[in-house]
Amino acid sequence: MKQKLLEVENLKKYYPVTVGLLSRHVADVKAVDGVSFYITEGETLGLVGESGCGKSSLGRTLLRLEEPTAGRVLYKGSDIMRWDKKQLKEWRKETQIVFQDPQSSLDPRMTIGDSIGEALLIHGVGTEKERLERVEELLTRVGLEPRHATRYPHELSGGQKQRIGIARALAVNPKLIVADEPVSALDVSVQAQILNLVMDLQQELGLAYLFIAHDLAVIGQVSDRIAVMYLGQIIELADKAELLNNPFHPYTQALLSAIPLPDPHHKRKKVSLTGEVPSPVTPPSGCRFHTRCPKVMKICSEETPALRPLAKDHSVSCHLYK
Amino acid sequence: MNNTILQINQLKTYFFTRNGVVKAVDAVSFGLRKGESLCLVGESGCGKTATALSILRLIDSPPGEIVDGEILYRGEDLLRCSSKRLRQIRGNRIAMIFQDPQSSLNPVFNVGDQIMEQVKLHLRLGHQAALEKTVQLMEQVGIPRVRERMKDYPHQFSGGMKQRVMIAAALSCNPEILIADEPTTALDATIKMQILDIFQDLKQKRNTSILFITHDLGTVAGIADRIIVMYGGRIAEVGTVFDIFDQPKHPYTLGLINCLPSISKRGERLTPIPGMIPSLINPPEGCIFYPRCQRHMPICEKQRPKEVAVSGEHTVACYLYS
Amino acid sequence: MRQVSNKIGGTRNLIFIGTLLVLILILLLDIYLVDQILEPLEYFYLFFALLVIFYGVYPLYVNKRLTKYYWERTKRHRLAVLGLSFIIFLAAVAIFGPFLTHDPTEVNFQKKYLPPAGFSNQQSVYSLKTDQFLTTETPGTWRHPLGTDDKGRDMLAMLVSGARVSLQVGLLAVLMAIIIGTIMGVLSAYLGGWADMVLMRFTDIMMTFPFFLLLVFIIFIFGPSLIFIILVIGLTGWTGTARLVRSEALSLRTREFIMASKSLGASDSRIIFRHLIPNVLSSIIVIATLSIPGVILAEAALSFIGLGDPTVTSWGLVLQAGQRSLDTAWWIAVEPGIMLFLTVIAFNFLGDGIRDAFDPRSQL
Repeated sequence: MKQKLLEVENLKKYYPVTVGLLSRHVADVKAVDGVSFYITEGETLGLVGESGCGKSSLGRTLLRLEEPTAGRVLYKGSDIMRWDKKQLKEWRKETQIVFQDPQSSLDPRMTIGDSIGEALLIHGVGTEKERLERVEELLTRVGLEPRHATRYPHELSGGQKQRIGIARALAVNPKLIVADEPVSALDVSVQAQILNLVMDLQQELGLAYLFIAHDLAVIGQVSDRIAVMYLGQIIELADKAELLNNPFHPYTQALLSAIPLPDPHHKRKKVSLTGEVPSPVTPPSGCRFHTRCPKVMKICSEETPALRPLAKDHSVSCHLYK
Repeated sequence: MNNTILQINQLKTYFFTRNGVVKAVDAVSFGLRKGESLCLVGESGCGKTATALSILRLIDSPPGEIVDGEILYRGEDLLRCSSKRLRQIRGNRIAMIFQDPQSSLNPVFNVGDQIMEQVKLHLRLGHQAALEKTVQLMEQVGIPRVRERMKDYPHQFSGGMKQRVMIAAALSCNPEILIADEPTTALDATIKMQILDIFQDLKQKRNTSILFITHDLGTVAGIADRIIVMYGGRIAEVGTVFDIFDQPKHPYTLGLINCLPSISKRGERLTPIPGMIPSLINPPEGCIFYPRCQRHMPICEKQRPKEVAVSGEHTVACYLYS
Repeated sequence: MRQVSNKIGGTRNLIFIGTLLVLILILLLDIYLVDQILEPLEYFYLFFALLVIFYGVYPLYVNKRLTKYYWERTKRHRLAVLGLSFIIFLAAVAIFGPFLTHDPTEVNFQKKYLPPAGFSNQQSVYSLKTDQFLTTETPGTWRHPLGTDDKGRDMLAMLVSGARVSLQVGLLAVLMAIIIGTIMGVLSAYLGGWADMVLMRFTDIMMTFPFFLLLVFIIFIFGPSLIFIILVIGLTGWTGTARLVRSEALSLRTREFIMASKSLGASDSRIIFRHLIPNVLSSIIVIATLSIPGVILAEAALSFIGLGDPTVTSWGLVLQAGQRSLDTAWWIAVEPGIMLFLTVIAFNFLGDGIRDAFDPRSQL
């Protein structure tokens, strides 16, 4: 039985909204509002949601790259919120992050080799010669050549830069990688190469991923389990096959129907959503989705449904299912 | 059959840069019919945006220049007509929607003013009449609470809303041809669907011809009548949407379709196209896809393949079929 | 040894500190034992020169390809290259000139008012004897190629000395100002919150500081000296840099590579010194290059009105002397004027060229 690597309990991240000369705190952007889930060793949890749902904030907050407002994050059973600087720094070797924009995720003034090897330098791993060797090894692992180590980011393409982001994350042999929309900014053919790389690395190294994306097709390709996020909360969580075949939540159903299929014969029954995504500063009362839900009922605006397990490994937060 | 209203013949648009001549559009020919939606598909750097900009002579010159070819709009060559005539056509008969709604709207004017400017210019209406027309247009594209929202500034709108504003502005003069450059790329899946519905509506109710540029094959399957696949500044394949998806002929088209992640391809590795997108400076004598093609033959390297008909309207530029 | 060097950020820092210690040793010797090895201004100079070499020139050398890339882009700006050539020429003049010319303070009343070589000065003197105007022509000689002033001092020597002064003041004052400004700006941006507010309000106050008044006050108490001018300009002129650096650092802070560093376990100081500062460096260089002319002019103006250092011959001082004889000996004012003009323009051209070279959006 594989152990739970990461457990998130009721995580919240609010960004204060300030007004005026003395920065009065008037409201909060509730980017992440009570999220709970877990990731086991070697598995990929896909986190899907549209822009503004808080998935990026979640990724960063659970790595303590941004300090959480409330909640617990347990890594191998230990609460990371209680750790001091030294423990935190050690932990950085076990969890890494890969970003969306290949352009801004690399320091333009550092060579590729330096960027990849930075982690080794920070943690004092090996001699300079050993670090160089490791950098070359990593470059080859992600499908580039050792000669790229002396290049600068502006000399490489988007796909290559993204590979470097992955190489950098691998440098310290992490157990968990948070991949924040790693392929959204790439062309289709490059996307396929990177997705393959991600899946291969998981098989080779036993990595666990929190794979964040807005494209359900991409999520479906790489994930073992999928969590659907809307306006700061997880509204459905299930095994991939289960979620894709049997979506319970109306939002999930809408998302599924919105995937553009490269098949002109398929006349999908479209679930059209009305209106726009509400502001995370003043989320709707009760179930946050009720303002756009095609199956809204009276109770939806009054009471927030809890994330409840309905079938085996399939939880939903929706009043339709009691 | 011959209700072609826009015919492009052997268009060549080159960019003269310090590093060499970039042949962005290298002898491209195709026709657009009344009431059809024609999709230009390809990845970044394939020349599709340059083609679209060339139609309305919007190429930045220097360093770009349309060196050769004809663009016949109802028989009239847009490349050789007077600037005055071109201005009459732009926005009026042929309208364009650009890729990034963020930067296409002027941030210092409110949205209503920007649309009204278009309306007044081309329809020569007085202020009150223009106002009414603008309200009507904005309602047609599904913007809620129009009279209030008209006075808002672009930054107060979400991505999907901004795109609707762009479409409203483009439709103000009921153009015969609408050129849309990646209009849904930056949008979430559910919003994408809504915008595509607007386009479908346009086609059906007003018989507008749409030249839709995108790299997303999934979107294409939903909206296209015919598809042109571009690669390296040249046309690789042309056909109806069913031709292309059911019987893709060009190795690039096949590669593109095969590397799409899909929820039906559970967890299998994708088959990406090996190699990288080519530089358009000094393109080779032969087929530009040659270095990445799995099925190349000696002749592919030497001579550029001409388009040959495979069936009906389905043409390919590939020696495998000639 | 390696552990020590890792602690303070590398061997480079180690060598720098070592050299600094040597300098301090010489300084101490100077004060207590031996007489005047180096002038105070020269200690100042050496300190900053060391700073520039270790933290400016050395990184450029290490990142050879990046330096080459930017150099190529700068070269395409013809005016910038012209400007740079002039500045190099000026620097050469400033360094080697004093060895090749006369003493600029050597007074020789017999040779006063000599025009530049090739020109001829006509002077009309009313002679009581003949009741007529006697016109004498004094031609210029090659012994004093640029002529002499009202006290017979050699113009060329004075201009050379002036070049040295201008460059010293320009470079040192600006260097001080941008170092202080950068530290303020980066700290402000990175720490944010209260620190940001406090530092920025302090910057606002410094911006309104009357540097001129301060200078007059100091001169009143301590007497005029070049060092004071440099210090005052340096300690009050950093505010513009601070603001600019802060805004750049703020926008950089949200760039993902900063967060990536954090996720790798980098400490705050590492992020500031290894990531933030190198990336704002391009803006800083541009600001510095474009501030130098302003400082040079400020010093010239101060000397012109008599607040400068009278022991040092600067262009402003010469201008002051020339002001009186504008109609008879025009060259005394015109020559320093031309030098100031050319120097200011040269730095401006160079600054423009560098700014365009660093701007990723400009097509060069």
